[in-house]
Amino acid sequence: MGIVILLLMLAGVGLMLARVLPTAFALVLLGVAIAVAAGAPLTGENSILDTVLQEGAPALAATMLAVLIGSWLGKLMEETGIAGTLVRKIVEFGGDRPTVVALGVLTVSALVGTVTGSAPAAMMAGIIGIPAMIAVGVPKTTAAGTILMGIAAGMPFELPVWQFFSTALELPVDTVKGFMLKLFPFAAFFAVLFVLVESRRKGVEHAWSLASAAERDGGGSPRERRRARARRMGDAPWYALLAPLVPLVLALGFDVAIIPSMLAGVLWALLTTTRPGHLNKRLLRTLYGGFEIAAPPIALFVAIGVLLAAVKLPGAVEALNPLVEAVAPGNPVVFVLVFTLLVPLCLYRGPLNVYGLGAGIAGVLIAAGIYPAVAVLGLTASYNQVFGVSDPTSTQTVWAAQYSGVGPQQVMLRTLPYVWCVALGGLVVTAATQL
Amino acid sequence: MNTRVHRATALSGGAHQAPDPRARHSRSTPPPSSAHRAPVPAGSPLRTLSPARREELRAACARLAALDDTEFGVRLLANTPGHDTRDQALLGEWAREAAEFGTELATDAPAGDRPAAPRTRVVETTGGTDRLLLARYRSRPVPTVELFTDTLALGEHLVDLLGWRPLYPAGSLRAAALAHERAHCLLHEDAGARRTLRDRLGHTALRIGPLRVPGHVAGAGELVAHAYAGAVCGLRRTPLLLTAALMGAVQALRED
Repeated sequence: MGIVILLLMLAGVGLMLARVLPTAFALVLLGVAIAVAAGAPLTGENSILDTVLQEGAPALAATMLAVLIGSWLGKLMEETGIAGTLVRKIVEFGGDRPTVVALGVLTVSALVGTVTGSAPAAMMAGIIGIPAMIAVGVPKTTAAGTILMGIAAGMPFELPVWQFFSTALELPVDTVKGFMLKLFPFAAFFAVLFVLVESRRKGVEHAWSLASAAERDGGGSPRERRRARARRMGDAPWYALLAPLVPLVLALGFDVAIIPSMLAGVLWALLTTTRPGHLNKRLLRTLYGGFEIAAPPIALFVAIGVLLAAVKLPGAVEALNPLVEAVAPGNPVVFVLVFTLLVPLCLYRGPLNVYGLGAGIAGVLIAAGIYPAVAVLGLTASYNQVFGVSDPTSTQTVWAAQYSGVGPQQVMLRTLPYVWCVALGGLVVTAATQL
Repeated sequence: MNTRVHRATALSGGAHQAPDPRARHSRSTPPPSSAHRAPVPAGSPLRTLSPARREELRAACARLAALDDTEFGVRLLANTPGHDTRDQALLGEWAREAAEFGTELATDAPAGDRPAAPRTRVVETTGGTDRLLLARYRSRPVPTVELFTDTLALGEHLVDLLGWRPLYPAGSLRAAALAHERAHCLLHEDAGARRTLRDRLGHTALRIGPLRVPGHVAGAGELVAHAYAGAVCGLRRTPLLLTAALMGAVQALRED
């Protein structure tokens, strides 16, 4: 039966890779199929309807809420000009030194990455940051990579990610926080190294573009509307720029829980930029905008919850246990070697993608008792660093590459060596401390 | 796309005979009359345009030519992200200042073919109209200027079609492209020049009491390079006017 489940997983990967089904739908289908293969009854205890679908779908509710509030804060930072001002100031201070500007944009991306992830984070930092870097001579692929590496450097402090790992792997938030603090130096070091090495390797690039002197869009275009709004708003005040730090300081420094910390960030961004008469309107508008941004990850978290519930069914655990036990390396050195070599399997929605089948595999590893949950956290968080930057099918990579005018594959090839090293660092820490 | 390493050379004006940069070009020379129009050569993509579309293009370019050169600088700055919150008058001030700086840079630059970077290669390639590029400079692995010959040829044909030859002499676009990239090199190499430009633009990034941190104006370097190229090649109008006209021509060709 274990073989059948593995074949089902393989079919699920095929469906996702071939884009026959969106990842979220494929994961739900896979969850139901695994439950059927594991012999789960239709209703009752450990059943398809009551356990896998009813209990699985909202299992990651706390994560969904954290993602929603993160998106809300992101939308607020965009609408109030906080994100734009941060990038603009970096360019003004950085001058025409491409490496300094790129390092500044990297820092802003990391800050934004602590608030929200995926394409919205890339857009917040990249809409101004990417053309600004290109304008001072940073080559396009380096510019796209800088945004993504920056977001990944902030990811260990992204509170919704803490919530996700905490709920999905059934670990206390403090344990997740502890590992993320160890992972952060690797993510930050290799992000800075990326900028320094690639700036040196690729030098500067200037283009005489025909579009540079083109007439500005008409007043009705979205771009011109955004400009008009930005002109009305002006720069955000300096104290408003601290908004992305508020949740971090509260959660890290004062041990405040994740959701209240993020709500405090929302309030800070709002109160420092908005006149009292406009508070309600802006709060509601950005909240609804946040729902729109958060919809894709929330759909994914519903599906992951279903898949996790399915692989944790007693029948599935019993079937998969001997298989996984036979192939999972126990020796710490072999653990690092094997899982480092398997890094590419989290690309292209592969089987080790944490926001896909990888979550199911993590569930199997824990349910079968192969590794302690903390070791699985180390494994998945390390892979998350790779997926978040280099996967050419992930929305942030596609957006950053296309906005820079290069292909996602070019960005993958340029960034992969660096994030592979980050994953190696995370796996070494995991093996050294948890195995 | 064909690529050919044309020659290893200085970033000079090439075949075009560069006049004295000290003869400053006018900011808004009136558009020449139709008497200067020349037949578009056979094989030019512009010949594929219908007569009505060609007239439309001429009319649109005439409207462009009626604008002041500073307006093109304002457009370039406005198209550079980061200036969303800026007032148009301020952008105009910066555009004028940067253009003047570029012209002075050309006046101060030593005469002759001295390259900004001695090992600079010039590579001729195609595919510029698809990517909306006229020229590109890359500093690594070796300093290289890529000239997109299809865009350059289209530019020359367009000048004939519009009767703009008195503004842009034959071969001047290629020369301007090389001079433009040379200006970028000069700015990169000379921190003093960059500092002077920043001071003249007078933008403040931060002010705390008496402490003032001057701010960089994104896009100003590009305006300096265009003004430098215009001055070095003795163009009577900014290269940005022809750039905007070329954009219109490429759009017309795409629509047809």
